[in-house]
Amino acid sequence: MKQLLIKCMASLGFILSLYTLNIATVMAHGEKALEPFIRMRTIQWYDVQWDKQKFNVNEEVSVSGKFHVAEDWPVSVPKPEAAFLNISTPGPVLIRTERYLNGKPFMNSVALQPGGDYNFKIVLKGRLPGRYHIHPFFNLKDAGQVMGPGVWLEITGSPSDFSNKVKTINGEVIDMETYGLGNGIFWHLFWGLLATAWLLWWLRRPLFIPRYRMLQAGGLEDELVTPNDRLIAKAMLVGVPLLVLAVNAMTISEYPNAIPLQASLDQILPLSAQVNAGVVDVETLKAEYRIPERSMEFTVKVNNRSENPVQIGEFSTANVHFLNKDLQAAYQGDSTSMTAFEGLSLENPAPIQPGEQRTMTITARDGFWESEKLNGLIRDADSRIGGLLFLYDSVTAARYISSITAAVIPKFN
Amino acid sequence: MSVNISNRSFRPYTGEKARITRAYDYLILVLALFLFIGSFHLHFALTVGDWDFWVDWKDRQWWPLVTPLMGITFPAAVQSVMWTKFRLPMGATLCVAALLIGTWITRIFAYHYWNYFPINMVLPATMLPGALVLDAILMLSNSLTVTAVLGGASFALLFYPSNWPLFGMFHVPVEYGNGQLTVADLFGFEYIRTGMPEYLRIIERGTLRTYGQYAAPLAAFCSALLCILMYTLWWFIGKWFATVRYLNKI
Repeated sequence: MKQLLIKCMASLGFILSLYTLNIATVMAHGEKALEPFIRMRTIQWYDVQWDKQKFNVNEEVSVSGKFHVAEDWPVSVPKPEAAFLNISTPGPVLIRTERYLNGKPFMNSVALQPGGDYNFKIVLKGRLPGRYHIHPFFNLKDAGQVMGPGVWLEITGSPSDFSNKVKTINGEVIDMETYGLGNGIFWHLFWGLLATAWLLWWLRRPLFIPRYRMLQAGGLEDELVTPNDRLIAKAMLVGVPLLVLAVNAMTISEYPNAIPLQASLDQILPLSAQVNAGVVDVETLKAEYRIPERSMEFTVKVNNRSENPVQIGEFSTANVHFLNKDLQAAYQGDSTSMTAFEGLSLENPAPIQPGEQRTMTITARDGFWESEKLNGLIRDADSRIGGLLFLYDSVTAARYISSITAAVIPKFN
Repeated sequence: MSVNISNRSFRPYTGEKARITRAYDYLILVLALFLFIGSFHLHFALTVGDWDFWVDWKDRQWWPLVTPLMGITFPAAVQSVMWTKFRLPMGATLCVAALLIGTWITRIFAYHYWNYFPINMVLPATMLPGALVLDAILMLSNSLTVTAVLGGASFALLFYPSNWPLFGMFHVPVEYGNGQLTVADLFGFEYIRTGMPEYLRIIERGTLRTYGQYAAPLAAFCSALLCILMYTLWWFIGKWFATVRYLNKI
């Protein structure tokens, strides 16, 4: 028996040591977990940039970018009537000091409009040193988290360098890291000591078995609860509420300008159309996903109403960028690693002339369809794809963006 | 069986018997403490949850309603056992003290050291004043009805004023982002919670506007009424689940 126990313990120790040796930092936080049609047809991020990726504790860093709220919003996802622009972090290793939508500061959740275009900026401040994978993202009420592109940020320095001072309306400067902590601990200790005294008052005498016997014997109530006990209980019954009310009144007079928690929804209108702005129209006629080739083939009709020839340069969906290799110089995308630099090929690469309407096939091909779990679309209840198609003016390099969408037909062979 | 002993023939334990019963007291107390720390803390985290976790959830409508309502449950059940079987009027205080021990351990180790939140952002509320009054009322009245009505109501009514000295200072306004926030709201904005967007906060929802801006007293009185019922329900839950059959064999 003893040997069996030793063998079991040794085996368990061996298994645990294997786990211990393989401890590694988690490299993801569920950015691929959301169903692909939600990632592709809700918030369509582009031009997301960080102003730096290495900085010190207490130093500010900002992320800015744009997003289009897809017109073809999935029917199974509640409309974005409350959305919260957030940052994915492993706890508050950074703090958020400012946040802007279309240039306006906003502190609460916001209602977004499908078809709307927005730009954003979030200012953060380093709090805890380390290397973290960070995304801007939207919490969509009743839908989930739609991630923007992620980057690695490195925060250097010492945690003790961090300070977060804020000025209240009364003009008092407070340290958010310690504000109210001493006061809170004091009151917990105060009531804790009073409670401990009450408990010890009873615990000092014989408890369960003797008291149970006395109670069963009957007629010994005065020994179980003595006049002294009653006196203390009466004092407590009067004293505790009086003390609570007195201290409450003192606090009210100390903070006469205290207000309730704020709970409004910010209202910020979209920008004038940046995507589907009407200069170059793109209509998707068909979309086929070729599983063995990991390629999405779109048949699109492009109507160039601009004054110059345009060329298709990029297709972007769920933070994956498929680039036309002949037009990479025009790429203005974000600094994400999820870019297929030769991922987009055109059936007819010749520029689309002003006034021309061309029906053509474009193919977005890369392993990203699989590694980003976007190919799961073909097994979804809603198998429509969405994304942004970027077209560039051949003369002025101006950019036209179209939000395209289509049902996807899988091709298994 | 030692039940139905006549008080004329009752003899208190002495010597070795007294020593063993005292050791039994300590054993039960330690087990009870850990049991209540674990179970009441879990119950509280699952029912009150975010209202107690975060300073920017402690509003004037839902926090004073839901916290005493869920907080009176275990105290009522434990009081029913400790009072009816042992005449020990300390069930409520013991439960709430155990809850606070568990809560403080979690806030320091899980929220602060593990997830980096400043402790002042996750300060727990206290229900100890209400628990002390609840124990005193039960002892003095020796009545379920009186304790449920007066004690249950007091437990709820004392909650907000006993916590305002802790949290009132977090309601000082701050001008931020072209708007007005409380310091507590600013904690929610600055200290990032990935899975806790602002719209998830269940605060200030409802129509307690009939009486102007006095939402907190209305919520407290609503909670007081519900606590009377909740106290009675959990008193009987405690009664149904408790047994002294092992004591009867001693």
